[in-house]
Amino acid sequence: MAINVLICDDSSFARKQMARAIPPEWEVTVHFAGDGVEGVQAIREGKGEVVFLDLTMPNMDGYGVLEAIRKEDLPAMVIVVSGDIQPDAQQRVMALGAMAFIKKPIDADKARAVLTDYGIMVRA
Amino acid sequence: MNTASPTVTLSDDQRDCYQELTNVAMGQAADRLARLLGEYVVLPIPRVNLIESSDLRMALEGYGEDSSVSAVCQGFIGSGIAGEALLVFNDTSFKDLARLTRREQDLTHNGQLELLMDVSSLLIGACIQGIGEQLEVHFNQGHPVVLGQHCNVRDILKAGNELWTKTLAIEIHYTMESVNVDCDLLLLFTEDSVLRLNQKIDYLLD
Repeated sequence: MAINVLICDDSSFARKQMARAIPPEWEVTVHFAGDGVEGVQAIREGKGEVVFLDLTMPNMDGYGVLEAIRKEDLPAMVIVVSGDIQPDAQQRVMALGAMAFIKKPIDADKARAVLTDYGIMVRA
Repeated sequence: MNTASPTVTLSDDQRDCYQELTNVAMGQAADRLARLLGEYVVLPIPRVNLIESSDLRMALEGYGEDSSVSAVCQGFIGSGIAGEALLVFNDTSFKDLARLTRREQDLTHNGQLELLMDVSSLLIGACIQGIGEQLEVHFNQGHPVVLGQHCNVRDILKAGNELWTKTLAIEIHYTMESVNVDCDLLLLFTEDSVLRLNQKIDYLLD
């Protein structure tokens, strides 16, 4: 059965870039959210079994989303995809329960490497 | 501010793309600054607008008439795209900058000048190259020029060229989480460059 993947980013260009980077061999249904509030809502609806999450967003940022996931104990594996590559940012999101961190700009190789490393996507 | 011109325009999709490219580039710049100072740099959402050069002051409206600032500008050019980076520092930043770079004993006029040049070359260089890499353009950077030290924003803008009638302005306001350092980085592209930039952006959006 296809896995529900949520791409949560305020930039439509970044959402498109992320969608293109999802390995074609991975069987998924892709959903989109334009900020953290929409993102948490989508995760509550089961659309975010795997979440590609941006950090800098209006309304609710990526840190807020991670806190909400933890507080409500939502079932989501979060991979943060961010341009904020400061060591501090990476440590903070990992401490908040993110599974992995990918530096923007995203591409298919980076996505595939993380997805297989963490066993999220099993190689056929 | 955003009056339509027959040649230079900016669609919502293009603006979004510029913002995202800037977001990545300023993140790389912030990372370098954070490593230099050992403090976390807060990343804002960059603002992208087509403005008349006379509106430049509005972009820096955060600085009051009586706040004291120092500023550097640096030109860049590559693949027919040219522009200028303008970095404006609130002078209250220098105390913490000097402390974090262990140059407290050297907070003289010249000491501050050196700090200003070091931090601006780091921030401007990383941002310009970061944007260039994503657009596959190599930008050559000119020499940085100090527009003024300890003056007000109006003097800074007087010292800068009255560049072009219409310019694409990318504004980034950097602050730091636990220390008193703040500055504005403006990337200003010439009117001619915007057409070429938009072509590259459209290619990415396609």
